[in-house]
Amino acid sequence: MMQLSPKLAKAQTGSAQSAGSEVSARPIRKRLQNIFGLFLVVVIALIASPHSPRGDLIFLEAGNITDVLRQVSEIGIISLGMTFVILTGGIDLSVGTVLALASSLVALVLTRAPLGMSSAMIVAAALFISVAAATLTGFTNGYIIARLRIQPFIVTLAMMIGVRGLARWLTSNTNIDIGFGMDAASVFARSFSTKTIVIGSYVLVAIALAAVLSKTVFGRYVRAVGDNEKAARYAGLPISRTKTLVYTMTGLLAGYAGVLHAAQNHQGNPNSGVAYELDAIAAVVIGGTSLMGGSGSISGTVVGTLIIGVLTNILRLNNVDSNVEMMIKATIILVAVWVQRAGKDAT
Amino acid sequence: MKIRFVALIVVLAIGLSACRSGSTSKKYFVAFSQCNNAEPYRAAQNQLMEKLFKEKGDVQLVIADGQQDNSKQIAQIETFIRQKPDLLIVAPNERTPLTDVMGRAIAAGIPVICLERDITQENYTTFIGADNLAIGKMAGQFMVDSLTHKFGKPRGKIVEMRGLLGVEAEMERYNGAHDVLKATPQIQVVHEAVADWLQDNARARMLEILRAQPEIDMVYGHNDPMGAGAYLAARELGREKQMQFIGVDGLGGTAGGIKKVMDGVLAATFYYPLCVDKAVEVGERILHDPAFHPDKKYTLQPKLITPENAGEMYGKLTF
Repeated sequence: MMQLSPKLAKAQTGSAQSAGSEVSARPIRKRLQNIFGLFLVVVIALIASPHSPRGDLIFLEAGNITDVLRQVSEIGIISLGMTFVILTGGIDLSVGTVLALASSLVALVLTRAPLGMSSAMIVAAALFISVAAATLTGFTNGYIIARLRIQPFIVTLAMMIGVRGLARWLTSNTNIDIGFGMDAASVFARSFSTKTIVIGSYVLVAIALAAVLSKTVFGRYVRAVGDNEKAARYAGLPISRTKTLVYTMTGLLAGYAGVLHAAQNHQGNPNSGVAYELDAIAAVVIGGTSLMGGSGSISGTVVGTLIIGVLTNILRLNNVDSNVEMMIKATIILVAVWVQRAGKDAT
Repeated sequence: MKIRFVALIVVLAIGLSACRSGSTSKKYFVAFSQCNNAEPYRAAQNQLMEKLFKEKGDVQLVIADGQQDNSKQIAQIETFIRQKPDLLIVAPNERTPLTDVMGRAIAAGIPVICLERDITQENYTTFIGADNLAIGKMAGQFMVDSLTHKFGKPRGKIVEMRGLLGVEAEMERYNGAHDVLKATPQIQVVHEAVADWLQDNARARMLEILRAQPEIDMVYGHNDPMGAGAYLAARELGREKQMQFIGVDGLGGTAGGIKKVMDGVLAATFYYPLCVDKAVEVGERILHDPAFHPDKKYTLQPKLITPENAGEMYGKLTF
C-alpha cells in the first residue's frame, strides 16, 4: 500500500488538528534560516551603503526603505500567488501578461467610461472589470490543468501568449495614458500609487495568505497535492478544486498587481510585465520553496522578495553597472538555493 | 553549514565594497538615466556623453539602463534622487510614466535635463530635443525630388517601413513625410509595413512585400536598420537596383547609417541629433554657474546625409 506522508496524513485529518502542531511540524530552524538570509543581506547593505553628505547611511533613510518596499510590491504580490502554485508542484508563466492585461483594462475603462458616471463608480467599475478578467484567466488555467490534465507549464505558456495578444488587441497595441488632471483616471492613479496603498496592499495580502497556507484546510490540501499527488488522490482530497482555486487566486493577484502597475506608471501598457513571471519564480525559489512542490512558505517568499529588492537597491546606490547587477543576481539565486539545500542536508 | 554562511558574507561584503566607486575627490556627480542601452541610438548617446564629460574632467558620470521598462527606470531615478546628484539627465522611456518621478527629482532640488523625449508636464529644468516632424518632411521632400529626377515628373511607388506604432517618433516621421507627399498624388505609398524599428523584421516584411508588389521605386525606413533590412530582402531577390532605400538616424560607426550611405546601401539618411552635445554644454553651465537659467526648451535640427557629405559626417559622429 502507498505510504502516506505526514503532510498528507495531516491534510486528511483536516482542521481538527490544532494550529500548534503545524508549527512543530515546520521546524523553527527553517523559519530562522529565512529570516537569517534577510538579516545577512541587510547587514551587507549597511556595510555597503554609501553615506549622504550629512554622514547618514542612505540605505537607512525612511524614503529609501519605502522606495524599496514599493518597488518590490508588484512582484511581491504576484510571487505570493506563485508560491501556492509552486507548492502544488505547478508553475504559472502567464502572470506577467495577465498583469499587462489588467493594467490595460483598468486604463481602458477609466479613460473610455461613458459620460455621466461619477468618478467613484468609474474607478469601481475599472477595478472590478480588470481584476475579474485577470481572475478569469487564472480560473481558465486552473480548470484546464485540473480537468484536462495538461501540464501547467504548457497551459500557462499558452495563456501567456494568448493574453498578450488579447491585451494588444484590446488596446490596438498602444499605451493608454492616464493624465494628471482631476478626472476619474487621474484620481485613481494618484490614490493607487501612494506608498501607503501599494505597500499596504502587499503587507495585507502577505499576512492573509500566510494565514491561509498555515491555518486552513485548504492550505494543507495545497501542500498535500504538491507533496504527493497520487497519494492525495487515493486519500480522496479534492485535487481538482484545490488546483483550480490556486491558479484562480494567482490570476486575481496578478490582476491586482496590474492595477497597481497602471496607477504607478500612469498608463495601461499591453506590453508591460515582460519576464515578471521569472522574477516572481526567482523570489519564490530564493525563499526556499521547492519547485517540486510540497514544501515552502509565504514568509520565505516575502524574504526572497525583500532580498532581491534590498540587493538591487544597494547595487544601484553604489552605481554598479546594470549588466553586473544581473550577473550578481544570478549568483544570488544559485547561492540562496544552495544554502537552503545545505539546511536540508543538515536536518 | 556555518562555514558556508561565513564564506558567503565575506565574499559578498568584499565584492560590494570593491564595487563602490573609489574616488571621492571634488567631482560633480552627474546621473544619467538612459531608457534602453540596447538601442544603437541610445548606445551612441551614452558613448558621446561619456566622451564629452571625460574631456571636461570634473564630472563623475553614472549611467543607469532602464532596459525599456518604465517601472525599472522609475526605480532607478528614485535611487538617484536618494543619492542627490548635482545634475540628473533623463532620457525617458515613455512620456507619461516618467513624468511624476522627474517631478520628484525637481522637488528634491536636483536640476533635471530631459533628453530627446518630452514628458507630459514640464517637470524638468530644460528639455533638449530634436524635431522628428522636420525629419519626416525632409524625407518626404527627398523622395519627391529623387523620384522626379528618376521619371522626369513626380510619380512612383513607395514602400514604408514603420517603427513601433504609437511611439511619437514614429508618428512624426510618418506624418511629416505624408504632409509633403500629399501634394504629389502621382506618388503613391503602395505598402506600409510595421517592422518595430528592427532590421530582421523589416527584412521579413519586405520579402513579403516584394512578392506582392512588382514595382517599387523607393523604400522609406523610419530608421536606418529597417532601411537596411529592406535592402537585404531586395538583394536576396535581385531587385535592389530597381529601387532606392532611405533611412533615419544617421549614426556614426561601422554599424551606423552613415556607413550604409557610404557603402551604397542607403541613398540617404537623415541625421537625428543625439542631443548629448547640447546637454553636456548646458549641463556644465548649470553645474558651474548657479545664476545660469537655461531655456525651457532647445530644439535641434536634423541634417540630410547623402554620399556627398557622408565621409565628413562619419568622421564627426564616430567616437
